[in-house]
Amino acid sequence: MAVPPSAIGAIAPTQPLSLSNLLPATTSAQPAGHASFAQMLLDGIASVNHRVANADAMVRAFTVDDSIPLHQVTFALEEARLSMELMMQVRARLVESYQRMMEMQL
Amino acid sequence: MNPMEISRTALDVEWRRLEIIAQNLANANTSRTASGEPYRPLTLVSGPRTNFAAFLDGNRAGARPSGVGVVGINASTAAPRRAYEPGHPHADAAGYVSYPALDHAGEMTRMVSTARIYEANLVAMNIARQMYSRAIEIGRR
Repeated sequence: MAVPPSAIGAIAPTQPLSLSNLLPATTSAQPAGHASFAQMLLDGIASVNHRVANADAMVRAFTVDDSIPLHQVTFALEEARLSMELMMQVRARLVESYQRMMEMQL
Repeated sequence: MNPMEISRTALDVEWRRLEIIAQNLANANTSRTASGEPYRPLTLVSGPRTNFAAFLDGNRAGARPSGVGVVGINASTAAPRRAYEPGHPHADAAGYVSYPALDHAGEMTRMVSTARIYEANLVAMNIARQMYSRAIEIGRR
């Protein structure tokens, strides 16, 4: 299958991995237009919460009105489960890095 | 859209298509509807969903896939099948009853292909789900 050249141009070039790319230049001042890490986490948790609530609403709707296609209910449940799993993985990494920090000898 | 959502749009469309086929078969002998005419067999027309922003840009080849949607439901314009049943309450002056021009073999074929395409999309959705689950496991200890 031929790939249109416009699709190739749309992919951003990868940046070389170095510490200066991973860490912000100054810890206090956030670069404009970039959300903080805490805000990013909160947004992620809010989106997981939204999906769980959506799955809950679908199950409720299906119990009272079974004209809703069943795959929509199971899809919402699966979507909620997957995003919850992703959130648990992120949490596990966070806790792990926190424990590493606490074990550090100063 | 992620692959799972694309498959979900296809499941929605095939579900609707089966609804239409079931309605056609259920009304195979409906010689009179509320309008006084025999039932007209319906056909569901589906097409790719277009992203509004990409459509405005005129960039339709480079647009990302966004699944499938129901474009419309067409009623058949074929002439009704006429059967001579003088005793029927819906018979006309000449004793003929008009039945829907239902293509039985065509409806059954469409039904089977609808079921198979539904299954194919379920498989695609499961594969996408497996890939996602595997990606979550990257770096797990």
